[in-house]
Amino acid sequence: MSSTETVQELLPAEIDETKVGPDTPWLVIVWDDPVNLMIYVVMVLQKLFGHSREKATKLMLQIHNEGKAVVSHGNREKAEADVARLHANGLWATLQRDSAT
Amino acid sequence: MRMGYGQRCSAIRLREAGDLVGERVTRHDGKIDLVLHPDEIELLRELATQTATVLIASDEAVGANPVRDRLFPRAYDDPTEDTAESEWQSIVHPDLVKGKATALGELLDDLDRVKSGSGGITTVDLSEEQMSTWVSALNDLRISLAVTIDLTEAQQEVPPSHVHAQGFAAYYFLTYLQGELLETLTGPFDF
Repeated sequence: MSSTETVQELLPAEIDETKVGPDTPWLVIVWDDPVNLMIYVVMVLQKLFGHSREKATKLMLQIHNEGKAVVSHGNREKAEADVARLHANGLWATLQRDSAT
Repeated sequence: MRMGYGQRCSAIRLREAGDLVGERVTRHDGKIDLVLHPDEIELLRELATQTATVLIASDEAVGANPVRDRLFPRAYDDPTEDTAESEWQSIVHPDLVKGKATALGELLDDLDRVKSGSGGITTVDLSEEQMSTWVSALNDLRISLAVTIDLTEAQQEVPPSHVHAQGFAAYYFLTYLQGELLETLTGPFDF
């Protein structure tokens, strides 16, 4: 979708570099919701992250069964860009610091 | 998350269009013909226009409109990240609005191209790209309607006397239609 491409192009240049913490990993989480269809979630995860159908299905089932799943990680600007792309596709996504590290 | 239209089929009240189930999509020359009843076209127009109105007013404060808040959720769960949240919203929100509005606009344009057939049945031809746009637009319509009718994991069906009975019927029609297009795009699914 054009919106996704625009968000992807826009983010790296405009994100404030000072917000990016030193080597702190950020996690992108997709939460289960009562609306999105399972096959739709698989399609979006394949499209945005280039996953195989099998890997996207496994992630989707984790979201469905456990209520959430980590779908990507990286520095803050990457995580923010991924959340924007997920929101463009209607998935309920958030980012947070990786508290395990 | 929902399995798909099949799981909810018994709850779908497609009214006059009920006997169209299974003959919705015909493939030809890399495109599809999608059969829609005139009432369904009206419904799609109405819902797309309503959601487009929410998009136009989506600069309003968070908390003012629950549909807007679900279409454009927070990125940061952590309330101490409010500054980062505001900065992120100011950067991405216009593009998110534009993307969703464009998809809705294209769906409305496609609805203007419907061709009438026998028995009051109308069809619209869609390319794969247009089908993908419809899938995205229908998803936003379902998200918007789900908020309006207060659909939750616990409340997926309501009795015919319920104040939101029509809304639920509309929601399951959208779910059915999105499922048909998704299956046409990605092949059969079985989880």
